[in-house]
Amino acid sequence: MGKYKYIIIGGSAGSFQVVTKILSALPKNFDKPVFLCLHRLKHIRSGFVEALSIKSTLPVVEPCDKEHIRPGKVYLAPANYHMYIELGNYFSLSTEEPVNHSRPAIDLSFFSAAYAYKSKLVGIILSGANRDGALGLKSVKDAGGYSIVQDPDECQVKTMTTASMQVTQVDEVLKTDQIIDFLLKLD
Amino acid sequence: MAVESQDIELFIGTIRSLSDYDFSEYSIKSFSRRLEKVLIDNKQDISGLVKKIKSSNDFLEKIVRDITVNTTELFRDPKAWHTVRYQILPKFKDYESINIYHAGCSTGQEVYSMLILLYEMDLFYKTNVFASDINIQVLEEAKKGTYKYRFNLDYLSNFDKVIKDNPYNTEDFRDVPYSKYFDINKATDTIKMKPFLTSKPVFKKQDLVKGSNVFYTKFDLILCRNVLIYFNFDLQNKIFEYFHQNLFDGGYLVLGMHESMLGPITAKFEKKGIMYRKR
Repeated sequence: MGKYKYIIIGGSAGSFQVVTKILSALPKNFDKPVFLCLHRLKHIRSGFVEALSIKSTLPVVEPCDKEHIRPGKVYLAPANYHMYIELGNYFSLSTEEPVNHSRPAIDLSFFSAAYAYKSKLVGIILSGANRDGALGLKSVKDAGGYSIVQDPDECQVKTMTTASMQVTQVDEVLKTDQIIDFLLKLD
Repeated sequence: MAVESQDIELFIGTIRSLSDYDFSEYSIKSFSRRLEKVLIDNKQDISGLVKKIKSSNDFLEKIVRDITVNTTELFRDPKAWHTVRYQILPKFKDYESINIYHAGCSTGQEVYSMLILLYEMDLFYKTNVFASDINIQVLEEAKKGTYKYRFNLDYLSNFDKVIKDNPYNTEDFRDVPYSKYFDINKATDTIKMKPFLTSKPVFKKQDLVKGSNVFYTKFDLILCRNVLIYFNFDLQNKIFEYFHQNLFDGGYLVLGMHESMLGPITAKFEKKGIMYRKR
């Protein structure tokens, strides 16, 4: 399992609990960068990174444009920006119009990560209320990466996960605890 | 439709051969995304688009407008405006005159936000406000100062957060009516800035890539928010250098909420959040 070096996770505001559970279960020496692209409720734009930081064992940051990607960090797409991963292992941000009614858009972050990391990437789609992320997860799989969807039975809202499963033959459908086990075995 | 790197090169080369615009140092991911969108919106493949650009200069200008990102709002990111209001502008209180420059002003909302704030702080009449953008069409909209009302209700809540409320003192509330600065017309679906605001700023076309000062003066404050994110690291640094040269000593530069200077240029500024002060 050592071939996977980067993790990207997409979900909407409702997946907050799952994300905190995952982040609190990762060991302090987990050295694979984790990218989070989560839809936010419009009126709660700030405080997200602080709330995630409380439970996370690893530092959670909202990256700045052109910031270099470092091991052992969790990167949260900043509110109101699209977050891209560029060749050369750094971020770029954009304020262009929402995609799938979302900014940040999960698809855009996933596309860019799939292009940059190919077979070294694990993509995970969690509970979410629209189809954003479905094509993104497909791009991860198509580029040779590993695709995981949270078990729709466990999701508050199934739209995102079922949409992902419609467009991609995903590698695994897992419950939160199994996602955590999977990530722990990557080391 | 995925855009290949040859497509981007062909597009950039074509634009460069026909005009002064140079996109060769733009940030790759967002630029290819924009090009993809332009192709889809125009129902063209890259060779069709290039052919059309070659045949019409108006079309070229339109494509330049579409490929650049023009997202802006009145008092966008109220927290940034709190920095301007409480940490920067008070420093200029005793200046004889103040020069403020909006680099990449798009359709002008940031310029009018500044003018409103200056007026509230009694700094309006001694301030010169300069604003530039790469695109003439958005500058024309900026000069008009008329915006859609619907879908822009954030403008009003942002106004409240910056102009009416004081985040540091909840008892300090100023009941400033919107009509002091703009007229809201729900029938025509417009928010229209008052003439005393629209007549104030100097708008000029400027391509930041060229790094030449089109206003022939130095500045006390430069705002350049969410513009440089579309440029690569090297070009960003050239422009930071240009800003540094064109700031008065001790002048301020304000960037977007998630922009930051990286590399040797940082030694020339003192950083506090999104605010950079020339050393």
